[in-house]
Amino acid sequence: MSLPPFKVLRPRSIDEAVGYLEKHVANIRVLAGGTDLIPSMRQRLFSPEYVLDLSGVAAMRGVRPQSDGGVEIGSLTTLRVIENSGFLRQHYPVLAEAAATVASPVLRNMGTIGGNICLDTRCLWYNQSLTWRKGCGFCIKKDGDLCHVAPGGTKCWAAFSGDTPPALLCLNTEIEIAGPSGVRRIPLQDFYTGLGDSYRKLQANELVTRVFLPASSADYRGVYRKLRVRGSIDYPLAGVAVVMRHSSNGHSIGHIADVRIGITAVNPAPLLVKGATDLLAGKEMNDLLAEAAGDLAAKTAKPLTTSALTPEYRSEMIRVFTKRAVLAAAGMN
Amino acid sequence: MKKELIELRVNGRLHELAVEPNAVLLDVLRQELQLTGSKRACDDSSCGACTVLLDGVAMMSCTMLAISCEGQEITTIEGVSEHGSLAAIQKAYGDWGGAQCGFCTPGFIMTVKSLLAENPDPSEADVRAALSSNLCRCTGYNQMYDAIRSAIKAEREGSAVTK
Ligand SMILES: Cc1cc2nc3c(=O)[nH]c(=O)nc-3n(C[C@H](O)[C@H](O)[C@H](O)COP(=O)(O)OP(=O)(O)OC[C@H]3O[C@@H](n4cnc5c(N)ncnc54)[C@H](O)[C@@H]3O)c2cc1C
Ligand code: FES
Ligand code: FES
Repeated sequence: MSLPPFKVLRPRSIDEAVGYLEKHVANIRVLAGGTDLIPSMRQRLFSPEYVLDLSGVAAMRGVRPQSDGGVEIGSLTTLRVIENSGFLRQHYPVLAEAAATVASPVLRNMGTIGGNICLDTRCLWYNQSLTWRKGCGFCIKKDGDLCHVAPGGTKCWAAFSGDTPPALLCLNTEIEIAGPSGVRRIPLQDFYTGLGDSYRKLQANELVTRVFLPASSADYRGVYRKLRVRGSIDYPLAGVAVVMRHSSNGHSIGHIADVRIGITAVNPAPLLVKGATDLLAGKEMNDLLAEAAGDLAAKTAKPLTTSALTPEYRSEMIRVFTKRAVLAAAGMN
Repeated sequence: MKKELIELRVNGRLHELAVEPNAVLLDVLRQELQLTGSKRACDDSSCGACTVLLDGVAMMSCTMLAISCEGQEITTIEGVSEHGSLAAIQKAYGDWGGAQCGFCTPGFIMTVKSLLAENPDPSEADVRAALSSNLCRCTGYNQMYDAIRSAIKAEREGSAVTK
């Protein structure tokens, strides 16, 4: 299947890119690595008049450690560069680990961190060819007004299925957004709406330009666990990220000083598990506590029949992975 | 749709081409340049049959616009042989039965080339991880691992692949 017709714009700088977005705001799509956008255009989920190819904007690439101990990552940086970055593996291991599970090695040579953050939400009834969708009845997210997942409902439940955002949320990540009225910087947590259709707060004339990991989240232990059908290529059907820091207590590992848990692929947005810090901080890890963390995460997960595995199984795996991940982060697996 | 004039460097040769802006690299290679070694199999960016190298790095040619590849060195399976004879990895694939119908083979070989360029002495786990980008629906994968292992050995020892 070929792609719909469009014109390609190839800016060399962020200003030029934003200028193009502003000029063609009604009908333009941003192309980074293309591993989400190109398959989606093939399926006619998007048929823009203009495609803004960012690949020539060199200023948007690279992992740049900052003097305060934090790091700034250009949004066009590939997932391959992130998983292989010695700096990130050492200081922000949960991000490197999550990046290394995305799709397949070849797709990670192409896919970018900005594209992973902006990734479209997914559903069995949405990520299909035009013919398929026409045959089954167009849904709320594209061209129709019904929902196959929650019949009679008016809300879209497509699941956010990126692997790095739960890790980034745990790290208190901020992102920089550039638009015609300048740049703004927001917590990643405020980027997602929780809706399956208009899932992100990004205007059509805006770009995500940089990703900031603060020094205050450096050097946490990190673990990412992912449920997929095959061991490679597949999107997550449930994912859990955990970061943890222990109080220093001579040479033995002390009690948990701080902890955050993020989940993905089971709601229309990646989410931090509320109450995780209250539950675990100040305590020493044990099996019962890990069970309780699992139960809490499973309550935050609201999977529906948006993918090939049942919601019950995905929810149960959030519970199991959270338990295993907090134990692993505490050095107890 | 108005075509655009672009220059693509493929297997060391520069081609000036008029392409539609929405043309993917795979179609330009196969239809404009008659380089039909790269295959389209899945059409949903998941199988790797279309894998080529861009500046030495493996990428899926079905999932990139030809227009975005200007200024980069593209290598396809047709550019893998050395001085007119088969590269070690190609010969090993034949000797060890790494290909059955052969449709996936060009993609696998490009993935292996990119792995070896980055890491000339990969472990078994490295090879398996790298190959997880490509799907084969015919063979067991074991013959492929055997072929790759013998090609790596031959490269390292500077000897011919032997079975
Ligand atoms: C077979 C297959 C398997 C996959 N498996 C996984 C998986 O396991 N886990 C996973 O997380 N992903 C998976 N993906 C999706 C994808 O490869 C990654 O999410 C990748 O990081 C997307 O980045 P990209 O640069 O290719 O995005 P693109 O396709 O270029 O863009 C994705 C979306 O974000 C927008 N966008 C991109 N960059 C910006 C920016 N800087 N500013 C504003 N908007 C922007 C685009 O307009 C588009 O809407 C898979 C894809 C395929 C084809
Ligand atoms: S044809 Fe390109 S990945 Fe399958
Ligand atoms: S040999 Fe037939 S698909 Fe691999």
